[in-house]
Amino acid sequence: MSAKMYRTQERMVAGVCGGLAEHLGVKVGLVRAIMLGASFFFGAGLVFYGWLWLLVPMAGDEARERGSLLDEDGNPRLTLFRPAPGAREESNSNPTRQRLSLGFREVAIGGGLVIAAVVLFGQQSGWNLQLGTLIPLLIIVLGAVLAWMQLDDTRRIGLLSAAKMNTPMALLRLGGGIALVIAGVIVIVAGSGSWTLVWSSVVASLAVLAGVALVLAPWVLKFWREFQSERAGRIRETERAEIAAHLHDSVLQTLALIQKSASSPADVTRLARAQERELREWIYQDAAHNAGALVERVKAVCAEAEDVYGQAVEVVAVGDAELTDRGSALVQAVREAVFNGVRHGGTTVSVYVEAGAQGVDVFIKDRGPGFDVETVPADRLGVRESVVGRMQRNGGAAEIISSADGTEVRLHLPSETPATEEAK
Amino acid sequence: MTIPPTPIRVVIVDDHAIFRSGLKADLAQDIVVLAEAATVEQAIVAVTAEQPDVVLLDVHLPGGRGQGGREVIAGCAALLASTKFLALSVSDSAEDVVSVIRAGARGYVTKSISGAEISDAVRRVAGGDAVFSPRLAGFVLDAFGTAEVAVEDELDKLSARELEVMRLIARGYSYKEVAKALFISIKTVESHVSAVLRKLQLSSRHELTRWAADRRLL
Repeated sequence: MSAKMYRTQERMVAGVCGGLAEHLGVKVGLVRAIMLGASFFFGAGLVFYGWLWLLVPMAGDEARERGSLLDEDGNPRLTLFRPAPGAREESNSNPTRQRLSLGFREVAIGGGLVIAAVVLFGQQSGWNLQLGTLIPLLIIVLGAVLAWMQLDDTRRIGLLSAAKMNTPMALLRLGGGIALVIAGVIVIVAGSGSWTLVWSSVVASLAVLAGVALVLAPWVLKFWREFQSERAGRIRETERAEIAAHLHDSVLQTLALIQKSASSPADVTRLARAQERELREWIYQDAAHNAGALVERVKAVCAEAEDVYGQAVEVVAVGDAELTDRGSALVQAVREAVFNGVRHGGTTVSVYVEAGAQGVDVFIKDRGPGFDVETVPADRLGVRESVVGRMQRNGGAAEIISSADGTEVRLHLPSETPATEEAK
Repeated sequence: MTIPPTPIRVVIVDDHAIFRSGLKADLAQDIVVLAEAATVEQAIVAVTAEQPDVVLLDVHLPGGRGQGGREVIAGCAALLASTKFLALSVSDSAEDVVSVIRAGARGYVTKSISGAEISDAVRRVAGGDAVFSPRLAGFVLDAFGTAEVAVEDELDKLSARELEVMRLIARGYSYKEVAKALFISIKTVESHVSAVLRKLQLSSRHELTRWAADRRLL
C-alpha cells in the first residue's frame, strides 16, 4: 500500500482502478467490479471515476516533471566525454509516442463504457428514453471525454512543455472534443427549433464565446506567465538551499576546524586538502565516470592516503572498469603502493589509471629517494607480498622501478577473458 | 632549462587579489609582472596595452559575456602570435580545461602548482612550447582514445609516440623524465607535446566538436 495514490500505467481506461487497488491493497478486479456496480446507482461509480481521473496524478508524473524541470533550469552540464545529451531526450519522447498510440484505444473503451453506463442509468431511472435527447447527450459526453483525455495527456507530459500540445493528433482530439460538445449542446437546446433558428443561435453563441475568450486571454496569459516564473523561482530556491546546506555541512565546518588547528600546519593542510577533494567531487562529479566502480575505488584509497599522511595524491583516470574480485585485488595493491609512496616519497604522488579493452594499468609514481627493490628484506611484506604477490595471484603483473629520482610502481591487470586466465 | 637573457614579461589575470599577489611573489626573478587584471574587460585592455610575452589567465573570470578566460583570448586574438596564454584554474572539468586550450591557450596548469613549477611553465610557454599537466594529458587521452584507431583525418588521432608521451605525462613524468624514458631529447618531447596541442585545438574529433558546438565555439 503506497502512501500517495497514483494512477497506474497498466490500465483499461485511465488507470484509476489499478491505482485505487494498489493504494488500498486489494485486487484490481474487485475494484473494477465495485466501480462498475456503483455505476448502476445513478452513475455514482462513473462520477467517482471521473473525479479520481482528474485529481489523481499518473504514476511517474512527478518524477518526469521533476526531470523536465532540471532540463528547463538546471542547465545540465555538458561534459566533453559524456554520452550524447540525446539520451535524455529519447527517454522523454518515447512515452509520448506510446501514449499517442494508446489514445485511440482509450477513446474507444472510455466512450463505449460511458455510453453503456448512461443508457443503463437512463433505463434504471425509468425515463422514457427518446433518441432525440439521448444521442446529443452521448455526443456531449463523448466530446467531453475526448477533450479531457487531451487535458490528461498534456498534464502527463508536463505542463511546461506546452509545445508538445501542438502535435496534430492532440489538436485533432481537442478540437474534435470541443466540436462534439458544442454540436451536442446546440442540438439539445435547439432540438425542436427550425434550422434557421439553430444557425443564428450558433453564430450568436460563437460570438459570445469569442468575446469571452478575447477578454479572458490576457488574464490567462498573465496567470500562465506568473505560474511559470513562480515555478522557476521555486526551482532556483531549492537549488540554492541545497548548495547552502552542502556548504554548511562541509566547507563551513572545515573552516571552523582549520581555525581551531591553525597552530598545526600539517593539520591545516590535511583539512584543506580533504575539503578540496570533497568539494571537487561534488562540483565536478561526472556521470560518465559512474559506469564502472574501479576508478572510484582507486580515488577512495588515494583519498585515504591523503587523509592519513596529509600528502597530496593526484589521480588521473582514463576510462573505467567494473569492479570485479580481481579489480578489488588491484585496488588493494594500489592502496599499498600509494601508501608506500606517500610514506617514503614525501612529495606529491601521481596515480594514473588507464582502463581499456586490454585490461587495467595503474602507475603510481612518487619522487622520493627511492630504494633498491632487491635489497628489501624478505620479512618486509609491504611491497613483495601486498603488491607484487597480490597482482600475480590475480593473473596480473607488478613492476617496481626505483631510482634516485623516485619510484614508480606499475600494475597491470589483463581483462577478464578465459584465455588470459589460463595463460597465467 | 636555459634562462633567457631578457626577463619574461607577464600579465596576471585572476579575479582573486590574494591569489594574484601570492602568484606574483612565487614567480622566479626572471619573470616580471607588468600588470594585473581582475575582469575580462580589464584583462583585454591590460594585455593589449602591455603586449606581454605570457598571460597567466584564470579560466573563470567575471565580466564580459560570462565566458571568462576564453573571452579574453578571443579579445586578444590579434596578439596570439606574440603573446602566449597559460591557463590557470582550480577547475577539474574537461570542458573548462579544453575550452581555453581550444580558444588558443598554450598550456594549462592547476592553481595548486608550486612557484618553481609555474615559473618553469611560464618559461616554457614563452619559448613557444606547450605545457601539459597530468590532468590535461588525461583529458587528451580520454578524448582521442588510448588505442590507435583508424581515422581519416590525421588531426583526429595521436601518433604512437604522441600517445606514449601523453601517457608518461599523465603518469606524472616531467618533460625531462619523458625524454629519458623514451630515449629522445627534451626538444623532441616538446615538439610532440606541441603537436598534440595543435591537434587538440584543431581536431574535428566528434567528442571535441560536439562539445564545441554546444558552446557555440565553432
